[in-house]
Amino acid sequence: MSAIEALYLFDEHNTPLLEHTYIGRPPASSTLLPLYLAHPNPRPSLIYLPNTNPPTLLYSIVQDQLLFLCPCSSDTEPLQVLEFLHRVADVLEDFLGPPLLASKIEGNYDVVAQLLNEMVDGGIIANTEPNALRDVVEAPNFMKSLLGGVGLPSSTPSSLTPSVTTFSMAGRPSPRLGPTSATQTSSPVPWRRANVRHTSNEMYVDIVETLEVTLSPSGRPLSAIANGTIAFTAKVSGIPDLILQLGCAGGIHNAISLPVFHPCVRLNRWKERPGELSFVPPDGRFVLAGYEVDLLGSAALDSFSASSTAKSQLKLNVPATVSVHTSLGSTGSDFEVRLQLNPHFTGKSSSQSNTAAIGKGGLGRGTGFASASTGTTGSPAIEEMIVNIPLPASVKNVADLRVVRGTGDTGYAPGDRSIEWRISSREISTIMAQDRGGGIGATATLRGTVIGQDDDSSDALDAGGPVILTYDYDDDQAAQPSLLPSMPKQHSTDAGAKRVKANKVLMPSCATVSFSVKGWLPSGIRVESLNVDQKRSKGLGSGVTPYKGVKYLCVSRRGVECRC
Amino acid sequence: MESISRISSLLETARDLTLEAARDASNVRRAPSKELPSGQLKKLLDSRTERDVLEGLRRVVTMSYRQPPSQTLPFFSHVIKNVASPSLQVKKLVYIYLLQHAEHEPDTALLSINTIQKSLTDTNPQLRALALRVMSSIRVPVISQIVSLGIKRGSGDMSPYVRRAAALAIPKCYRLDPNTEPQLLEYLSTLLGDKQYFVTGAAVASFLELCPDRLDLIHPHYRSLIRKLSDMDEWGQLATLRLMMVYGRKCFPRRTRKVKRAAGTANTNSKPAKSTRGFYESESESEEEEMEQDMEEITVLDPDLELLLKNCQSLLQSRNAAVVIAVARTYLYLGTPEYLTQAIGPLVSLLRSAGDIQHIALYNIVQVCLTHPEPFVKYYTHFLVRSTDAPHIWRLKLELLTLIFPHAQLRLQSLILAELSHFSHSGSLDPALVKESVRAIGRCSQSPATSPHTSARCLKLLLKHIGSADTHLVAESLEVIRHLIQRDPNAHRTTVVRLAKHLDAATSPQARASIIWLVGEFAGIDPENNIAADVLRILVQGFADEAEPAKLQIVLLAAKVYVHHLTANPPPEPPKVEEPKPSPSPLDNFQEEQGGFRDEHLESSPQITEPQQQEKPHIIEALYNYVLLLVRYDTSYDLRDRARVYKALLATTTSTQLASLLLLAPKPVPHIPSPSETRRGYVLGSASLVIGDEGGVGGLRGYEDLPRWVKEGEEPDPALRDESASTSSSTYVSKYESARNMSAADRLDAAAGGSSRMTPDSMLSPRSLNDMGGNVGMGGGGGHASKEKQKEKTLDDWLAEEEKDSQSEEETDSEEGETEEESEYETDSEDEDEGEGDKLIK
Repeated sequence: MSAIEALYLFDEHNTPLLEHTYIGRPPASSTLLPLYLAHPNPRPSLIYLPNTNPPTLLYSIVQDQLLFLCPCSSDTEPLQVLEFLHRVADVLEDFLGPPLLASKIEGNYDVVAQLLNEMVDGGIIANTEPNALRDVVEAPNFMKSLLGGVGLPSSTPSSLTPSVTTFSMAGRPSPRLGPTSATQTSSPVPWRRANVRHTSNEMYVDIVETLEVTLSPSGRPLSAIANGTIAFTAKVSGIPDLILQLGCAGGIHNAISLPVFHPCVRLNRWKERPGELSFVPPDGRFVLAGYEVDLLGSAALDSFSASSTAKSQLKLNVPATVSVHTSLGSTGSDFEVRLQLNPHFTGKSSSQSNTAAIGKGGLGRGTGFASASTGTTGSPAIEEMIVNIPLPASVKNVADLRVVRGTGDTGYAPGDRSIEWRISSREISTIMAQDRGGGIGATATLRGTVIGQDDDSSDALDAGGPVILTYDYDDDQAAQPSLLPSMPKQHSTDAGAKRVKANKVLMPSCATVSFSVKGWLPSGIRVESLNVDQKRSKGLGSGVTPYKGVKYLCVSRRGVECRC
Repeated sequence: MESISRISSLLETARDLTLEAARDASNVRRAPSKELPSGQLKKLLDSRTERDVLEGLRRVVTMSYRQPPSQTLPFFSHVIKNVASPSLQVKKLVYIYLLQHAEHEPDTALLSINTIQKSLTDTNPQLRALALRVMSSIRVPVISQIVSLGIKRGSGDMSPYVRRAAALAIPKCYRLDPNTEPQLLEYLSTLLGDKQYFVTGAAVASFLELCPDRLDLIHPHYRSLIRKLSDMDEWGQLATLRLMMVYGRKCFPRRTRKVKRAAGTANTNSKPAKSTRGFYESESESEEEEMEQDMEEITVLDPDLELLLKNCQSLLQSRNAAVVIAVARTYLYLGTPEYLTQAIGPLVSLLRSAGDIQHIALYNIVQVCLTHPEPFVKYYTHFLVRSTDAPHIWRLKLELLTLIFPHAQLRLQSLILAELSHFSHSGSLDPALVKESVRAIGRCSQSPATSPHTSARCLKLLLKHIGSADTHLVAESLEVIRHLIQRDPNAHRTTVVRLAKHLDAATSPQARASIIWLVGEFAGIDPENNIAADVLRILVQGFADEAEPAKLQIVLLAAKVYVHHLTANPPPEPPKVEEPKPSPSPLDNFQEEQGGFRDEHLESSPQITEPQQQEKPHIIEALYNYVLLLVRYDTSYDLRDRARVYKALLATTTSTQLASLLLLAPKPVPHIPSPSETRRGYVLGSASLVIGDEGGVGGLRGYEDLPRWVKEGEEPDPALRDESASTSSSTYVSKYESARNMSAADRLDAAAGGSSRMTPDSMLSPRSLNDMGGNVGMGGGGGHASKEKQKEKTLDDWLAEEEKDSQSEEETDSEEGETEEESEYETDSEDEDEGEGDKLIK
């Protein structure tokens, strides 16, 4: 019945990093790893291994190239275990600093051991809240090790009261005054640790939306969903009570659907006033909420059958779309990928300012300070544009791969399963510049010719049958059986069509675009305000207004997909 | 919800670079980090300065993670010595070491117990909790009584943190020594009533570990647990929801009430039916019928159950996917469809989380969708397959699309079909995807709710594939077409003709063989207009160029055609009289439709013209003999062997009957259910659901089937849940006592319920399949014995009686509707039991 029997951690080379047994006698990591690796990639997150002793359910996640395994000998709720593994990754990252690296774990086994012991008790998941864990486990202090234990104030959040802080800086934590001094009471808010002190009070809101757009061969969007996540970083003293007001052009309740919230968010408040998030944040970085936005709206299905494709296409405001045209050329072995860049993303900004914005975006955290509108929001710039064209397995090579229009690097080696077409942000701005007058956006085109295994074999395949395809049958048409005597005559004329048909199997069936745009969200959601409710907050000195920062990011990880 | 580390990786572009760098570095890093010789390490551990001790402990803990225990065991006594250290930091590390190694040296470990026990009275609550946790985790059975005492003390502690540790220690103590159970139950009962939500969460988890059947302990705390539900942490919520699923089934009998159907929902065609029925049915029956028509069965929820369902609502917005599934499970098995509808959106929202969670969530979504497809229709955009989806993801997505297909509006249906056909013809990226999407098209057209028009469209889509150069696609399409035809041969006469036409287009031998087989299969239908002989004639011309599988089928076709010919025209007497006359109207249509085809052949092959119909026997026989002759000189042994068999079979007229038995045996109708139908019986959210029957029939080890609904009248007294009784008693112990006293009678019920619990919940659950037969028999016997008590029939009785006589059902008209519902899904079938009980009261 116990959920968590053991936790095994492996680094990126699948060398064991950690083996922690909670309860029972689960199979050792050395027996489980080969069985796990025996599954072909991509591996499912739950694998049943009937041949181990006892028969084991093996849960796995891969986070930051580290492999987390968790064996279970009896039926448990799979999502419970997987969520737990994700929490372990989060907690380790929170304590050891992002990103989670094997070397960090190896350097801090004592902290990791304490954390793992706190998180699960006797197989029952006990405590996975990073803040609550900070109350009981002291985070390794990198500043301290850097400065060799010199008593300098640290910027790392620490759970200690100021008087203790000076103590802990002096090398090892002193006895009796560990992070959990006797006088300290546990925090009244379960997700927030007690006695938070920060010298500089800061709050950051990062809204990330991941695009998932599917376009039909005609270019009509079949589905367009933006999955949003609001990440929040709170470095505020005391127990602050915050109100985050989200806004959107068409009304927030129309835009956001299926939200999920961190337990700290007051649900009733959201229900009464959609768009208003009232919460006492945990200390540090956490995901405040998740939501999704249907960019097509509810009438998407109606427009699907409606003939006016252009209209519905215009409605979809995506930085870039792609279209693939196949079976071109005399033998039908050519294909063309056309990348269409949305003019909205050049708009007012010249290529020069565009690159400037990119440079600014490169600063990462530093960009969106002091509330919503900054330089990047005005002229969003597309970055890291990659067009990915998966190829069928039967394609052996792509000849004559070239960018006909526009620029960019194409990556393909014979035998690869996909073509990668990278366009740097600078190249995008030059493409954009070419087409500024039109206002319909710029296009770039990639052409290539696919080559199947060897042509002889495909010919042999065709010759094998006694009847060779001569007509394109359509069942609505009257029957047109090809008669054997007349066939040889037609054979030569239809050879081309036959080849086209044969080459059709080699054609790519879709193309995907990856990119990221800083300072712009496809849903149009924005942070209207972020305020500290002074009346309800505690411990934050009056008159102290925390520093606020907002950042928007739109990411497509092969998220815009066009079929053909 | 995405985890913060995944979001961070999106936000921080530098992160990938760091990871890359780390990977490169790790090749170098592999060298073991500086390890001190054991002597020096021991010196550190024995040191008087805390700093050195801490350093030593750190190294030992590091070693214990990297090396087998034999390497770190030598330090046991040196480490344990430090357990008395006043430093919390040192203590913690010692404890960690102790937990890892105590089993190897139980005797030395016992030395530390005394010190740990002292820590139980420390002023620092965290130290107390830590000590309690460590003490209970040391796997040395001798100390069970000490642990039990520690738990007792801990469960009355001021600090909730300690109380939680006590709650979590309970199952550990039980594992040490099962004899401590009575004491532990007492502590547990105290803790279940704790005011702090994070104590109760842990207590519920312990309860599930220790004694999941002792529901009598839950009654007094039921309402408070439900109220705390939304405040508990996610893991506590999960445990509580799991408990409540069992509790709800065992304590709240399913009651249904008949209510007048709302005017709007009453379907119009029911009214004429009513009026006509009055003429030929007795008055009273029509009355009842009327009632039945106007009434709608509504589940009446116990107020306490409703409290649970209402309190779950806020959990649907939980960031924890497992909690969302658990709420959906509660609604599916305890609630009403209205509640379940609320959970659909949150279920779908799980699809935006990480791939691993998405995978498991999809299984659960499919499971809900199997029984309640309608509410999923509007979320179809989430089920569209993307090129980046892994095979285990798109498989489930395709299934979802086919499940919602029959319930979708026309536009969506065409969208889904377009989607499926896209993947079937251009999805050459993955042959498995092609296969699966062709099958999905087949399932779409088979679904009973699909209109004939749509079915025809599906078939048309499939037929288009036959000419494709993709052999996977052709083979799979034909397979599905064959299934479709076999399911309803009469409706697909024209399809066979169409297929025969496609013989020209089909190049792959397997495809040709399939088509030829189908033509042969239908050679007997509609003898007047059958094309089999014609097809055979054309095929024979190119026989030499065919591949072996196709040749085999041609020979078989020849044999079949010949057998039909022989049976239709027995050699001695003229055949015409015996031939069944097909009804004229469909025949006409058929001829019209297929006229072109026939005409073509009539022109091309003048030997088969109407006037020559009389000499047809000769032609078929000639064809048959010609084929046999061809085969006789074929290179394939197999082919020649078969030809000999057919030749011998059909040589004499006496064996014609035997031959037709052999060759024309009716083939079983294939049924392609949705792939997840096999998992249908598993409980939502379980691992068995994901693994399926691979984990063994009846689920994986530890899988618990859904308990059946408690029968009306057998449920524990609702007054047990009244808090007034329990809150009046001041101390926890007496509260427990009172609960105990009250539940005495109830426990008898529970015992009775326990035995009935063994009977299968429903036919669908895989676990119950094993003992199904026996119970049906028993139920049948019971039903016989108490004929007058028919109204108290159980599901088993129903099943048994359905087989015996359907008469009894017609006697009581009111039950008619219920039996219909029975097949729908399990919760419904439970409705009936309770519904019947209700009527009895009425």
